[in-house]
Amino acid sequence: MKTRQKKSIRAKNYANKSSHVCPICCIIPPHMMDHIIMHGNDKMRAYALQTLRSSEQFRGKREVMGNVSFAVSPGQKRRTVYDAAEGETLPGALIRAEDGPPSRDIAVNEAYDGAGATYDLFHDVFERNSIDDQGLRLDSTVHYGTRYDNAFWNGNQMVYGDGDGQLFNRFTIAIDVIGHELTHGVTQYEAGLIYKGESGALNESFSDVFGSLVKQRSLNQSVNQADWLIGAGLLAPGVNGAALRSLKEPGTAYDDPMLGKDPQPAFYKDLYRGSQDNGGVHINSSIPNHAFYLAAMEIGGFAWEKTGKIWYIALRDTLRSRANFRRAASATINIAGELYGQSSEEQLAVRNAWKTVGVI
Amino acid sequence: MEEKSMRITVQRTGGFTAIPITKTVDVTAMPTNEATQLRQMVEAADFFDLPAEIPSTSQPDRFVYQISVEQEGKRHSVTVGETAMGPDMKSLVDLLMKSGH
Repeated sequence: MKTRQKKSIRAKNYANKSSHVCPICCIIPPHMMDHIIMHGNDKMRAYALQTLRSSEQFRGKREVMGNVSFAVSPGQKRRTVYDAAEGETLPGALIRAEDGPPSRDIAVNEAYDGAGATYDLFHDVFERNSIDDQGLRLDSTVHYGTRYDNAFWNGNQMVYGDGDGQLFNRFTIAIDVIGHELTHGVTQYEAGLIYKGESGALNESFSDVFGSLVKQRSLNQSVNQADWLIGAGLLAPGVNGAALRSLKEPGTAYDDPMLGKDPQPAFYKDLYRGSQDNGGVHINSSIPNHAFYLAAMEIGGFAWEKTGKIWYIALRDTLRSRANFRRAASATINIAGELYGQSSEEQLAVRNAWKTVGVI
Repeated sequence: MEEKSMRITVQRTGGFTAIPITKTVDVTAMPTNEATQLRQMVEAADFFDLPAEIPSTSQPDRFVYQISVEQEGKRHSVTVGETAMGPDMKSLVDLLMKSGH
């Protein structure tokens, strides 16, 4: 996260290239920064103080903004889309606000429409008023960074890169990517699943599941019509793959000389146990993803109506920040029983799904 | 002027796509400008004294970089999240991602 102040630090460093200002110490953690302030030489101290100040300003802003709740009428959808113009200063220039005319920029309109479809799923189906259930304005920034191959939720807003054009297209191209990012916001306000290991993989999985449901609902697709893919259209022409992840057939989304092969396992016995990717949060998410797919297929109809509701209530009311896959399994099985009856077809479907993927 | 042998590898993991990308540069074989720039960045950072893992605030779908420097038989790796990278660290990583193979 760069602030305007950090930009000026950067400019200053370039101007003083011959001096010995540490060009990398802004990556130093706060406790080391304290040490530098106490024991470093003058230049180090000045640098550390400036860095600390700008990051604390940023944290302060988040704390203040996080505690202010603006009065909004229930169920009001408010979206804004900004353009970072290939820079990294957020949010960038305002391009489109709620009820404003469409832009000539396709990424702006995709971010706007995708945020709207996500808002509508949570509002119309789950009776949730935006990310925080208090009408939070949905802010998106497009054209973040140069050829940036990523999209993320930074705790306050969605951010989308343009992709490098060789491997990835712009990240707004897939509506499920937009639903995915916004769902990270919902998870942050609800279960708060810690982004590491199994709880992190659950965090990712909820984002994929609701991302896919946003797409399915926007296309009015039943479980049999849905593609169950995440990021269809995101891979650039010439890349061998349909998408980034498949809830239906984990591990089959792509297989390409440049990208390698989709590493996602379908079954718990194949869980990735390494340290990469926060302990494989984007790898192991396929196990709960596939459980959702299996349950949805057995329950049938529109996946958001019953299966989606079970998963949503687990996220909102039951799961806590350290939940693992077994907790998610028991939560969704219990909720299915409460909603549709003990030993109902729905509850059996959810139990079967978790059994098939080997979690229970 | 004789330069010490130096190889730098950067591995990017995580991100929405979660597709790891690894780039390696042999600094000894690089054009002088870039090589000098990289050597200065590594030296000024006291790279070999940086902790193996630099904590960062965890944001979903952000990249994580592991930078490894091999110099004259010494080897050190530093893992840092995108959110903990200041502009200068970012410049280093950008340069590596651009110039590496």
